Amino acid sequence: MDMDEKNRDYSNDDITVYWRPGKCIHSSVCYTKLIEVFNPIKRPWVNLSGAPTEKIIEIVNECPTEALMWKWNDENKNEHITEADKNHIRIRRPDDYATLDVNTTTPDPVQVKIMKNGPYVIQGSFKVYTENGQIYKTGRFTSLCRCGQSNTMPFCDGMHRKTGFQDE
Amino acid sequence: MNKPEDRSPDSAEFLIHENGPIRLSGKFTLTRADGQPIEIDGDAYLCRCGGSANKPFCDGSHRSVGIKK
Repeated sequence: MDMDEKNRDYSNDDITVYWRPGKCIHSSVCYTKLIEVFNPIKRPWVNLSGAPTEKIIEIVNECPTEALMWKWNDENKNEHITEADKNHIRIRRPDDYATLDVNTTTPDPVQVKIMKNGPYVIQGSFKVYTENGQIYKTGRFTSLCRCGQSNTMPFCDGMHRKTGFQDE
Repeated sequence: MNKPEDRSPDSAEFLIHENGPIRLSGKFTLTRADGQPIEIDGDAYLCRCGGSANKPFCDGSHRSVGIKK
């Protein structure tokens, strides 16, 4: 795969997947088994909204090297992994897990997608805050209401479907 | 290598105006549902009330439409 040589991390609500291109031996397990998530011709080539989290974990665990590793975003869950979680970063690279921080990876550029008749979906590091500087939320994945009707403002709660929001 | 997403910085700040739009500052590429990119450079005010005639941008409609708090 012809990709730039930077380590990257990708997150959805549940997990973070670590990509270390220098370790890849091009076994092609990831994209032959889960092209919806691992698509070498796309940028970014990893799309964690492409499949359920359990499926992504399954395929990452099949990577024969540590080019792909993962962890739960909920640190408590990382305490309860099993041997089957072969490419969990704590199993593969316990030292890295202990010192895991942004120095080892480059976050992917933030993506903002406008969903048809739905919210703004944000992937990548973000901060949502008020006019007086109070922080609503920081993180790596969220959706912001676009229909004006959410009960969890400023975040989407699915009300656009109930109210039949049409964006054009 | 100048793919749209390459323009966006590594982090984004969304300022939520009370009863008003979302301000997004910086160089960003928003992606429409049909995949069309919208390039932003500077301050962009994004509609949050659902009523703008200029979506995704604010056109001041929230003053008449109102936004649930």
